[in-house]
Amino acid sequence: MSTAAVQDARKQAEALDNEDSIAFVRDEFNIPTKAQIASSRLADSHPAALPASEDDSKCIYLCGNSLGVQPKRTVTRLNQYLTTWATQGVQGHFKPLEESPLPTWLDADAKAAELIAPVVGANVSEVAVMQTLTANIHLLMSAFYRPDINGRHKIILENKAFPSDHFAVETQIRHHGLSTEKSMVLIESSSKDNIISTEEVLSVISAHADTTTLLLLPGIQYYTGQLLDIPAITAFAHKHGIFVIWDLAHAVGNVPLYLHDWGVDAAAWCSYKYLNGGPGCIGGLFVHTNNSVVTKEITDEKPEEGYNNRLAGWWGNDKKTRFVMANKFHPVAGAAGFQLSNPSILDITSLSASLEIFQEAGGMEALRSKSLKLTNFLEATLGQMKEEDRAHFRIITPSKPEERGAQLSLMLSDGLLDTVMKELEARGVIVDERKPNVIRVAPAPLYNTFKDCVLFVEAFSAALEVAKQHAL
Amino acid sequence: MSDFASKVKVLRDGQKPEFPSSANTLEYAQSLDAQDELRHLRNEFIIPTRASLKKKALDGIIPGTQTNGTTTSTDADTPCIYFVGNSLGAQPKAVRPYLEAQLETWASIGINGHFSSLSNSPLTPWQDMAADCAAKSAAIVGAADPSEVVIMNTLTVNLHFMMASFYRPTDKRHKIILEWRPFPSDWYAFQSQIEWHGLDPEKSMVEMQPDENLYLSTEKILATIDEHAEDAALLLLPGIQYYTGQLFDIPRITKYAQERGIVVGWDLAHCAGNVELQLHDWNVDFAVWCTYKYLNGGPGSMAGAFVHERHGKVDMSSGKPVFKPRLSGWYGADKSVRFNMDKEFQPTPGAQGFQVSNPSAIDLTSLAAALSVFNKTSMKDLRSKALVLTAYTEHLLDEIVRRQPEGEEPAFKIITPRDPLQRGTQLSLLLRDGLMDTVAAALEENGVVCDKRKPNVIRVAPVPMYCRFEDVWKFMQIFEAAVRG
Repeated sequence: MSTAAVQDARKQAEALDNEDSIAFVRDEFNIPTKAQIASSRLADSHPAALPASEDDSKCIYLCGNSLGVQPKRTVTRLNQYLTTWATQGVQGHFKPLEESPLPTWLDADAKAAELIAPVVGANVSEVAVMQTLTANIHLLMSAFYRPDINGRHKIILENKAFPSDHFAVETQIRHHGLSTEKSMVLIESSSKDNIISTEEVLSVISAHADTTTLLLLPGIQYYTGQLLDIPAITAFAHKHGIFVIWDLAHAVGNVPLYLHDWGVDAAAWCSYKYLNGGPGCIGGLFVHTNNSVVTKEITDEKPEEGYNNRLAGWWGNDKKTRFVMANKFHPVAGAAGFQLSNPSILDITSLSASLEIFQEAGGMEALRSKSLKLTNFLEATLGQMKEEDRAHFRIITPSKPEERGAQLSLMLSDGLLDTVMKELEARGVIVDERKPNVIRVAPAPLYNTFKDCVLFVEAFSAALEVAKQHAL
Repeated sequence: MSDFASKVKVLRDGQKPEFPSSANTLEYAQSLDAQDELRHLRNEFIIPTRASLKKKALDGIIPGTQTNGTTTSTDADTPCIYFVGNSLGAQPKAVRPYLEAQLETWASIGINGHFSSLSNSPLTPWQDMAADCAAKSAAIVGAADPSEVVIMNTLTVNLHFMMASFYRPTDKRHKIILEWRPFPSDWYAFQSQIEWHGLDPEKSMVEMQPDENLYLSTEKILATIDEHAEDAALLLLPGIQYYTGQLFDIPRITKYAQERGIVVGWDLAHCAGNVELQLHDWNVDFAVWCTYKYLNGGPGSMAGAFVHERHGKVDMSSGKPVFKPRLSGWYGADKSVRFNMDKEFQPTPGAQGFQVSNPSAIDLTSLAAALSVFNKTSMKDLRSKALVLTAYTEHLLDEIVRRQPEGEEPAFKIITPRDPLQRGTQLSLLLRDGLMDTVAAALEENGVVCDKRKPNVIRVAPVPMYCRFEDVWKFMQIFEAAVRG
């Protein structure tokens, strides 16, 4: 970047940061400093115990699409959880403590559902905080993928799905004694960057409509950062009698979702990306009210015909009858009926702590408003780079803001990736790489700044210079 | 040989040890504690105090940290009698520092925590934590090798994933053999698995009924296996029945069923960390367990599963991986290829190839801390102490009934088998009608925590890791007063 361009960008960033009405939320997070991120030794105390570091010493953490930054209050809440367990023992399940922000353990899942519902645009009864993403996809498919080889048996998904989704689909197909050759349909993108147009999706649906029972797509594609048209695709699939499951790993906490209003059938997500729950934190699922009704009482004849059968466990059983220990599963209506086990309270506490911040920041619309500006600014600043640098990368994420979330994926020229990553890290910039040639840069609205974007571009320019030299 | 050691020997022979007439004294109880070579393990735990149990609000006070080590009689300093480790284990002291280290790691190095660990940390990098906990669990369940163990998900989900691989009904063989009162979650799992295959639970479940003492004999189990030798696909029992505390003859039942072509799985929720297990040598096909009971991982902590080595092989000889079918996800893929993002699934050999998702590093932190305490002892030593503790408990309980006035209906009946080798730590007491509320109130008033199974059963579990003979004696004074009114 030219010096003039740099100064200009920095000035713009400063102005944008000053105008940012949710800038205060950054203080809720423990953003690693450059020294910490480079450290190979556990310090004597947690950063929270040390005097607050200057913002300048913070690293430029643009990797929240892979692992979100730790909220400060997570430390407090987990300590409170440990104290509760230590002092109450088993009573923690049912005995509330005054002035404790923590629910009883029996209520922890319900409270977490209340916190996540607005983030995904669902009624509280339509969400459950449970398990992990791929396990949830399997559990949803066990309920909603009931193929008939003589009728509807196909599952449609994208050709470059995150491998876990691919493995889940193929093993579910095989469970039913079917073959992927006949029952798995992959949507190929005609674009060299694997951007899937809505038209492409709809045309594949049309081509296989009568024999398809399920469509599984990512809300945001992990590699390109493309945001798919969830309502349009869902509606079209429904017109053709197809059930739609959305993998929202990269969408939840990133873009506003209105799963209920969009008529989404079901969805699943993980909580360690934009939800900042911690590495591998407990995930979640959504089941539309329409798909989780329970129309019979346990005392009725053939009560199992009153609900969608699913792989079940005691935690999905109607609470009213849960401790009756009767030998018949009868789910509670709603997503909660898809739970199986009592959840990890430690994990749910970590997630719930983070979700409090979403509320305080004003919800997903407020975050999206900043995110649009952030990512647009990042893109524009990348556009200010010297032409000889810009020749070595391309943004493969769609340029229309409504077709993307926070993340931009940059496809580098061959042979540059390793050096670029090394040089970025040496400058305290943390992004994510997808070999052989892509880096993913995700300014998260909760804790990143416009200044972060400028600093990224400066570092990226310098890194490219070094990488080009090495490649010669 | 000490009194304690000779009692262990007698118990391991399946016999009842003798207790002196002074058994029901504090001095005697303390004498057994003095001989207990594991008594130092209690210091590894935070036991709630009588005051802390009554706490109405968080006040930052951790039990056991306010005293200077002398015993006083104030509620704040008196540990409660925590006999409910069969439901939720006490908190190991190691959990807090481990969790602090993890929070600091996440805050300091962010995403790099997946691949790096900090040099003076008790933790491994996140991507290795599950395998590390599996390794720490191997000896506890008697795996030949850590590769037979996987730490993932929750118990019921593991049961489902295991059944997806091991319950493959055909027209001929489709039945599941189970016991009369499985933990409801297991029942719902069987019911929904059968239904998932398009079969009818009414036709595909074989329930074995106990006798009038709620005891399910091995003979009855073997006879049922014989009866269904041709149409049973799976036998799945709890190693220890949650309600009665009966410990089943895992090796014998496993062998008998497998010889007749039946796959055998075990729900070890109440066994792991409680009794000695040799899952590999017993040739068990698969097993599942939770870790928040005797393993002390914390409420809802991550579960475990065992897959026998012979089922975990990945054969690459044809160029394409050949392995036992399962519901898959990326995290079951071999570490060497996992991030290649290939569409060809090549699992890690062994149990860890059954993972689907990257696990919670936070959750694993708590479990890793809890398992570090098991590292300081052995299941053999824990079981030896537990045998004596439970025998002492049983002895004092029997004496309570003996002391009741002639002709009075016994205040309670022990519904757990009397054979020490057919039970774990827990004793289940069926109270006489009408006693439950009085007993529950008395226990609560006096800082005793047990588990209640309404309407009439209490479960008493003096776990060897952190309970003392002194606790058992004190319990009896309170319990006898309660039942005698």
